[in-house]
Amino acid sequence: MIMEEVEDPITKMIQPQQPYTGQIFQPTQTFTPTTPQPFYGNSFEDEPPLLEELGINFDHIWQKTLTVLHPLKVADGSIMNETDLAGPMVFCLAFGATLLLAGKIQFGYVYGISAIGCLGMFCLLNLMSMTGVSFGCVASVLGYCLLPMILLSSFAVIFSLQGMVGIILTAGIIGWCSFSASKIFISALAMEGQQLLVAYPCALLYGVFALISVF
Amino acid sequence: MHPAGSAAGTPRQPSKRRIPVSHLGMADPHQLFDDTSSAQSQGYGAQRGPSGLGYPTASASPQAAFLADPVSNMAMAYGSSLAAQGKELVDKNVSGLGWWEWGESWGHEARASGRALPPQIDRFIPVTKLKYYFAVDTLYVGKKLGLLFFPYLHQDWEVQYQQDTPVAPRFDVNAPDLYIPAMAFITYVLVAGLALGTQDRFSPDLLGLQASSALAWLTLEVLAILLSLYLVTVNTDLTTIDLVAFLGYKYVGMIGGILMGLLFGKIGYYLVLGWCCMSIFVFMIRTLRLKILAEAAAEGVPVRGARNQLRMYLTMAVAAAQPLLMYWLTFHLVR
Repeated sequence: MIMEEVEDPITKMIQPQQPYTGQIFQPTQTFTPTTPQPFYGNSFEDEPPLLEELGINFDHIWQKTLTVLHPLKVADGSIMNETDLAGPMVFCLAFGATLLLAGKIQFGYVYGISAIGCLGMFCLLNLMSMTGVSFGCVASVLGYCLLPMILLSSFAVIFSLQGMVGIILTAGIIGWCSFSASKIFISALAMEGQQLLVAYPCALLYGVFALISVF
Repeated sequence: MHPAGSAAGTPRQPSKRRIPVSHLGMADPHQLFDDTSSAQSQGYGAQRGPSGLGYPTASASPQAAFLADPVSNMAMAYGSSLAAQGKELVDKNVSGLGWWEWGESWGHEARASGRALPPQIDRFIPVTKLKYYFAVDTLYVGKKLGLLFFPYLHQDWEVQYQQDTPVAPRFDVNAPDLYIPAMAFITYVLVAGLALGTQDRFSPDLLGLQASSALAWLTLEVLAILLSLYLVTVNTDLTTIDLVAFLGYKYVGMIGGILMGLLFGKIGYYLVLGWCCMSIFVFMIRTLRLKILAEAAAEGVPVRGARNQLRMYLTMAVAAAQPLLMYWLTFHLVR
């Protein structure tokens, strides 16, 4: 079907859907303006609400945040169907803000590392999973799981993290972040027996974030 | 092109050059535009009718009027030649297949992989081949890491085959994979940064420097081995990606050495590095022996012959280069 359609453009041009009845160099008056509608009238009430149009669904954001904060709760695979970058943006900015409170102006590093990390995870997950994954989905999941790292950097504002307690706390929070990220990836992409394999690169990524917070 | 004289004045009949209506009544594909002078346009319209493509059977007059105008005639010729060129360009770039085969192959691949990747990307990065090397699971990775640190008790080093293709790494611990080398490489770069940081020699661009120098050494190694395999004229099924995978396994030992060096100083570093060097030497010899040496020699029967000796030396050289590189890339990180 496809072949004959493509190989026969001439016929298609000779018999357009609507036969050309005008003259070549004379524009035809085919546009009939409709009756002008008032700007604020029925159309305004028919418009969807602004948040819905922007795609920001607070309920879903809250659900995803709860999934991250309860690492032992089983994740629902369908929550990642809509890639939502509003939440991750907020979390990244909050992370940078807490770093700022500790006296480290390192927004550039946060941005660069998260970009490279998301790219790396995107390539790896596409190669490892049966179904592919979109870049927005990867960025969204990794951004949401940055939430515990914000806790760590806010601790760093008050206490220094370079003691034994700091190291244990850092290790725990890295584990928490990567565990919940891998849990969401596994359930969204239906990968079996690969949770630790997905958690390890996430742990590397969050480890670099932790390095920024600690040092 | 039909000579105009043959068709002039006669009612349109399907000529020999025409594909009959049962084959959907298409025009000769190489003809740029149709010869629609006089009565032919009518017959052509009627012929298109039963083709079932859904085009409305337009009457003759608008077509004739359309085509009589010289400007639109030329425009149509130009447009159709452009369309034909475009189609050729797409056909050429899309791995040399025709439209139908291209669509079919893409569909098959999309069904198999679940993700519609256009085959143009497949030309630069062989994604489907790479996917084989990432089909791993946690159990495989655990066993492989154990093999890398302690290969002495493992008996059977053959990769199992399933109908001429090697089995995925998930199912056979002897198959090479790319997950471990890739993760080991990235971990090596980060651990090197950590080691430099504890010695107060860290700056972020040093990370990039470490990464690119390690990558350069790896590329050099792969090229050298490929060159020597070519010179020795060995017929192996050792692909380049396989080679990269095998050469990437040494990063695991390097990471172990650096971490021990960080924790326990130079003594720990030398001990662990020595152990890992021995292990990777044995691992490489046992793995490459099956790939490079001839069948008889691989089964342990010593075969005397210049060719096999050369191959044996090549295997030993490759295996011996691993510990050297492991030491070279890590000794400056441990003080």
